Amino acid sequence: MTENKKKSILRIALYAGEIMLKNGAETYRTEDTINIMCRSKELKHVNSFVTPTGIFISDDRLDGISFIKRIKSRTINLSKISDVNNFARKFIKDDISEMDALLELRRIDKKGKYEKYTRTFFTGLASAFFSLLFGAGLTDFILAFLISMVAIRVNWKIERLSNTSFLAKATSGALISFLALISKSIGFGESIDMIIVGSIMPLVPGVALTNGLRDFISGDLIAGATRVAEAVLIAISIAVGVGTILKLWVHLFGGVF
Amino acid sequence: MPYYKHFIFALISTVGFSILFNVPKRSIFYAGLTGGIGWTVYMYIKALTLSSSFSIFLASIIVGVLGEIFARIDKKPVTTFVIPGIVPLVPGYTMYLSMVNLINQEFYTAVKLGTEAVFTSGAISVGIIIVTSVAKIIKIKKDPNIKAKELSQES
Repeated sequence: MTENKKKSILRIALYAGEIMLKNGAETYRTEDTINIMCRSKELKHVNSFVTPTGIFISDDRLDGISFIKRIKSRTINLSKISDVNNFARKFIKDDISEMDALLELRRIDKKGKYEKYTRTFFTGLASAFFSLLFGAGLTDFILAFLISMVAIRVNWKIERLSNTSFLAKATSGALISFLALISKSIGFGESIDMIIVGSIMPLVPGVALTNGLRDFISGDLIAGATRVAEAVLIAISIAVGVGTILKLWVHLFGGVF
Repeated sequence: MPYYKHFIFALISTVGFSILFNVPKRSIFYAGLTGGIGWTVYMYIKALTLSSSFSIFLASIIVGVLGEIFARIDKKPVTTFVIPGIVPLVPGYTMYLSMVNLINQEFYTAVKLGTEAVFTSGAISVGIIIVTSVAKIIKIKKDPNIKAKELSQES
């Protein structure tokens, strides 16, 4: 096998792994996909080391080549994971040229999400029904629906402008508590807690924490530590946003609870 | 609140989250079903046993099993159904509350809630991992020719 052939296989595997990791695949799944893709093309000695912030692939023979990819941001986009999964299966079975494979991966990478307004509407729906699960009344249901839509839009806007998620999460947290307090004080909302429970649901890092612990239990200790730390950081940033507004409100207007 | 209400609310909520997580169109209903059934089982077992962690654990086993079944039916990776399915169970709000208490210097409550959050998500992870591992073993038993390594692709 020529060196160029080897390089192109590693490059394709790296790109596939990058897309999976960026869109919220588990660490072990990413590693396995990379290893299997390489092994199916007679690259038997490939090691991959995946953490949520970067991928390392290396061929540990004498002419060993290594590739590193830094991953800056992670979201959850399950349709891309599923697409890469299908691509990997096709890649293992058939002989796809490097160009075709990279083009196909690029197509998956660039694939859009659902329409922005659809996503906003369904986020509102998810939050509103979540507050019902916690036992909210009808007015709180409506408020959670509206406030969470505003909050998620603000969150997306700021996330696009700044590359740390701290600011986005803190601002949307502050906005949620501010709107909840206002609606309570004009006499529309029933319980601030219920409104906040629902509206905050799309922001809180529950899935991130669970995925982190899953990594820990399956033995990917660095990945687990990174994900848990990220989850704690997100929770802190929301708490800072909400807490600041609540404190300010109590100072300025006295208690409204 | 009666259980059928819990089921409907959790189902709609999970469908909303599936759109947020960009689940492929055809799989959205299955994902919602996973979440709805998971939450209803959680509420039912919690009423029976009064133990939160234990009922979360059983519910996430159910979510994992449903994920495996729907993955076979729909030819999608299990993650597509498991991630939206655990959203109603996951302790996001508890974790947020813990951090709020930490900021307000209520350290005892903060630690109590934080531990609860870790226990809950630990129970979910263990439940999911048990199902994944058992599914892998069953597959190897059925067809010993495939190597265990190559299986993890499909799970």
